Amino acid sequence: MKCFHFSEMPYPYVPPEAEAEHRGLKYFIPNRHYDPVRGYELYQRYLDEYELADELGLDLMVNEHHQSASTLHVSATLSAASVLARTRHGRVLVLGTPLPHRESPVRVAEEVAYLDAISAGRINCGFVRGVQGETYPSNQNPVHNMEMFFEAHDLIKEAWTRRDLFSWEGRFYHYRYVSVWPRPYQQPHPPIWVSGTTRRLVEWTARHGYTLCNLLGTYEDTAKSFRLYRQTAVEAGLPEPSPDNFAYLAFCHVAPTEEQARESGRKLLWYLKQGKLRLGAANPPGYSSTAAAVASLRGKLGEVRKYSFERLVDEGIMLVGTPDTVTRQIQRLYERTGVGNLILMNQAGEMTSNEVRDSLCLFAREVLPAVAPIGRSWQDEDTAWRVDNDTHPVETVLASALS
Amino acid sequence: MTDVTTTGERLLFLHDADVTAQPAPGIQQLSRTLGLDLDLPRHPGFGAPLEGEALEWDSVADLAQHHLLRLDAEDGRAAAADNSNSNSNSNGGRANGSAPHGHTPDPRPLHLAGAGFGGWIALEMAVRARHRFASLTLVAPYGVKLFGPTDREFADILLLDPAETVELGWADPSACHGLRMPGFPAGLDDREYEEAFAERAALSRFVWKPFLHDPRLRRWLHVLTMPTLVVAGDRDRMVAPGHSRALADLIPSARYAEIPGSGHYPYLETPGAFAETVAAFVSEHLKTGEER
Repeated sequence: MKCFHFSEMPYPYVPPEAEAEHRGLKYFIPNRHYDPVRGYELYQRYLDEYELADELGLDLMVNEHHQSASTLHVSATLSAASVLARTRHGRVLVLGTPLPHRESPVRVAEEVAYLDAISAGRINCGFVRGVQGETYPSNQNPVHNMEMFFEAHDLIKEAWTRRDLFSWEGRFYHYRYVSVWPRPYQQPHPPIWVSGTTRRLVEWTARHGYTLCNLLGTYEDTAKSFRLYRQTAVEAGLPEPSPDNFAYLAFCHVAPTEEQARESGRKLLWYLKQGKLRLGAANPPGYSSTAAAVASLRGKLGEVRKYSFERLVDEGIMLVGTPDTVTRQIQRLYERTGVGNLILMNQAGEMTSNEVRDSLCLFAREVLPAVAPIGRSWQDEDTAWRVDNDTHPVETVLASALS
Repeated sequence: MTDVTTTGERLLFLHDADVTAQPAPGIQQLSRTLGLDLDLPRHPGFGAPLEGEALEWDSVADLAQHHLLRLDAEDGRAAAADNSNSNSNSNGGRANGSAPHGHTPDPRPLHLAGAGFGGWIALEMAVRARHRFASLTLVAPYGVKLFGPTDREFADILLLDPAETVELGWADPSACHGLRMPGFPAGLDDREYEEAFAERAALSRFVWKPFLHDPRLRRWLHVLTMPTLVVAGDRDRMVAPGHSRALADLIPSARYAEIPGSGHYPYLETPGAFAETVAAFVSEHLKTGEER
């Protein structure tokens, strides 16, 4: 099991009344609520935590959102550049660049190639559709989101792998001359990761053999999504996917006692606070199927948000507890889903830097070595998720995950 | 009210976003008053999913082209019927002379009207086929941006909650009827809300960016020389105050009329006043009357 440190780098100082007035912290919140000096301090603090996590032997993940107090990452590639400059060892997972929201896929190809080039190949390159509300800051048509994602991906891959000048006149993107410098350090290109739960996207990810990431879903839903991936890959003639083809994002906070872990870990709930986003922002037109849109209208999506803290801990979506407890929970996660990469959201909201650092240090000392061997000999194991043990079809699930 | 003899002229009315398929009372009254044959098509993606080539469509220009081709196809049918009846009906009442594209036009004069989103489509049709239409009626149309980059000229109908749309779109929100949106009205079943979401997706496909307008439309407004009426409710807040009046100023032959006590949907909210205002305009431009 590989473990990645992740912080969304939130700005936790927006007054509650402003949050209420603007229906949450995202997309529509005026920037008068941002203080440049406090923002600077936050950036230094979060980057320091990335640096510590790297020193402790964890890998690192960055993301991006826009016009949001819940994330000060504005560009996953910019954040990756900052983290690369501060660190020496860990892989930096860019999860991810929201392809449909970037005007220029060629620019994405250049930026990721640059990151990989300057770091001698420390980059894992994540591509995402962008969560629903992102369509408002980017103003890209949500109806075309999935098709733009696929076309942008195809163009980027061509830009990385074709050794000659080419032109691209597609449906959404148009270039007369493409030949990206530098080429990625990792050849033919960095490992590609994708997060999502939509059946079409999961199947596409499987057929490409990319790593599929589930963010904060229940273990049951995550397992279903991964089963769909495995069945699709095998049907496409690919070898049985290994745990390394899968990733899961969970909250994490460890402490010497259960009580201490819960006391600080509770602060992670900040991330799950449901802003009262308009339906049009929570489910932009055409972004998902009409059935999923109605489920969203009826409040049936993202059910994880409604779980109590205790339930989140019991279900292992929050890996909160002593190192032993959390190690057992990670073992259970692996047995249920076959996941080989674990992204740990070690910070949210007003959790202090000391709390994060204490948890990181304890995790690195006691949990990391204990979970490292998990999944190494997966081919010798007879777990339920092995393709030979899983013959019934996967039903479509409503996403419990948050994105 | 006694039945009015039909004039044989046609009124093509292009619906707005979020309105139900039920014929609006103001439009029905208008067609009855003037004896017009009413043509109330639903736009592609509204009422039925887009399929085939239409899945590639992504602009209001595509919709305008679709509706113009539909008119051509009807012309073809009308011409065929005309030819087969030519011995018994030698007076075709042809008003507009020869058709621009070399086919035989339907002999019946055609009045074009559209509201909101449908008004935008009507504008795109009119600049492409200005000789086709005996008159043009635009009800608080979207489609043309007139003011500065930071002026919001159109309410964000793709983001707002239904209650907000009703609040902006009606002089008296409590009287709202004839609209359907995702989650509105309350108490519909999943299938109906799925249809509402599908229509939202279709709308978004055509109007997302630039939002609710086509920058290329404004530069061609000067070709609109057919009689034109721009009409808006005086309480419409879906379109910025003064927008419809300013648009009328840019169209050479247009005049502007306002319906008091009405919002964005005057044909629903104040159907009598709407029909009266528009009928007064259209009746000046009936071709059949000239020939009688």
